[in-house]
Amino acid sequence: MAFATIDLTKGVTGVLPSANATYSTPRENAVPIIYNGDMSVAQRGTSFTGVSSGSNWPVDRFEFYPTNLGAYTIIQESLTSGEAYNNGFRTALRIDTTTADASPAATDYAILRGKLEGKDLGLFKKGTSSAEKFTLAFWVKSNKTTTGQVNLFDIDNNRLVSGTYTISSANTWEKKIINFPADTTGGFDNDNALSLVVEFFLDSGSNFSSGTAPTAWEAQTNADRNANNFAIGSSTDNDFAMTGVQLEVGEFSSTTIPPFQFETFGDNLERCQRYFTKITRGVANTSICNGRWYNNSNVGGMFHLPTSMRSTPTLSITTGTNYYNASGTNANNFFDDFTFNDAADLSLGWYKGSISGTQGDGIIFMTNNSNASVSFDSEI
Amino acid sequence: MNLSTAVKIKYEKSLVTGKDASVKVIFSTTKDVDGNDTWEFLSIPMDEHNTDYQAILKWIADGNTVEESD
Repeated sequence: MAFATIDLTKGVTGVLPSANATYSTPRENAVPIIYNGDMSVAQRGTSFTGVSSGSNWPVDRFEFYPTNLGAYTIIQESLTSGEAYNNGFRTALRIDTTTADASPAATDYAILRGKLEGKDLGLFKKGTSSAEKFTLAFWVKSNKTTTGQVNLFDIDNNRLVSGTYTISSANTWEKKIINFPADTTGGFDNDNALSLVVEFFLDSGSNFSSGTAPTAWEAQTNADRNANNFAIGSSTDNDFAMTGVQLEVGEFSSTTIPPFQFETFGDNLERCQRYFTKITRGVANTSICNGRWYNNSNVGGMFHLPTSMRSTPTLSITTGTNYYNASGTNANNFFDDFTFNDAADLSLGWYKGSISGTQGDGIIFMTNNSNASVSFDSEI
Repeated sequence: MNLSTAVKIKYEKSLVTGKDASVKVIFSTTKDVDGNDTWEFLSIPMDEHNTDYQAILKWIADGNTVEESD
């Protein structure tokens, strides 16, 4: 439904909003509910090969999780043409199957998902008599012309609802809009834990595909989560690309859906850094922070975090022999790793023990190898 | 985080308080782009909101044991 417009020659045209309008109105000036929906932030890297298990992040906030079902290359793809590009998107998430598994075992699966914490979800009023509908929009492209399934998985209350999308033309960007019903049962917890998963189920064995996709909220049943199997792992010909993921409060159609809320790259990055922050740049001899010798055998310092993270983060290090340096006065002190010490809202203390120095001397903490990587992880 | 590929899982003390403050997880060695040994090292704070620490607690509940700190 088009909103009313004022034409200087024709006057008011279209449909005027009214107090009892049944359609939804855009959240003016709101930030996106989905983080990094334009796939522009990729702090962990932009290309990963041989992905076959566990948690993997082709871009920030979108996790690809395969389990015993093929192997994949996952990338942040730069767009240069196509309808998604024409609509302002310059990056996409892309999954290419490199090792096929056309007959997965019952328990195998491959999921692409975005995760939201409860504090972001109060506006859906879920679990109340005023509960709102959900609308999910996204751009998708694949070599496969088939039907896939996307679920909203309420972790707090173990409830699930599903939608399906059909790719009509191979290798062509298509915009999909899926409406999900409101749920008057089970509110999202107002906390920093995982509450809602937007789950693109891309492949699985029968444990996840033997049921029926629920079009109304139901108690979660694994068998219903992939009743429409996209089967990305069925052939090495297969690929799946996505961008412009947008979740809205209320029911929208292809003509009423608000425009994608593009953020500045800086704003998007800062929002993503609530969950993951990488502070190295793949360059040797880079200063990371200041520090001091706590005593003659322990050196330490404090990392300043760019934003308040969701929880006390895991200190995650890629290291090797002498990858790090506590650079003091006319002396380098190389070491391999270091340890979490304490944390406050915007800082994280670290130290390295069993290393010789002079109590009270200052240091600059530096990388000593271009492969050194330091990051903070509080993903959900 | 896949704890089945970890070669060491051990409590670490805070330098200041002297009490266990984190869990050190070291993963098996691989080769970096230059052909040198490299490995992933996690220092996981004992914060129950941290999902890595939640995984450690589940791993313990499954009957595994974290090595004591020095």
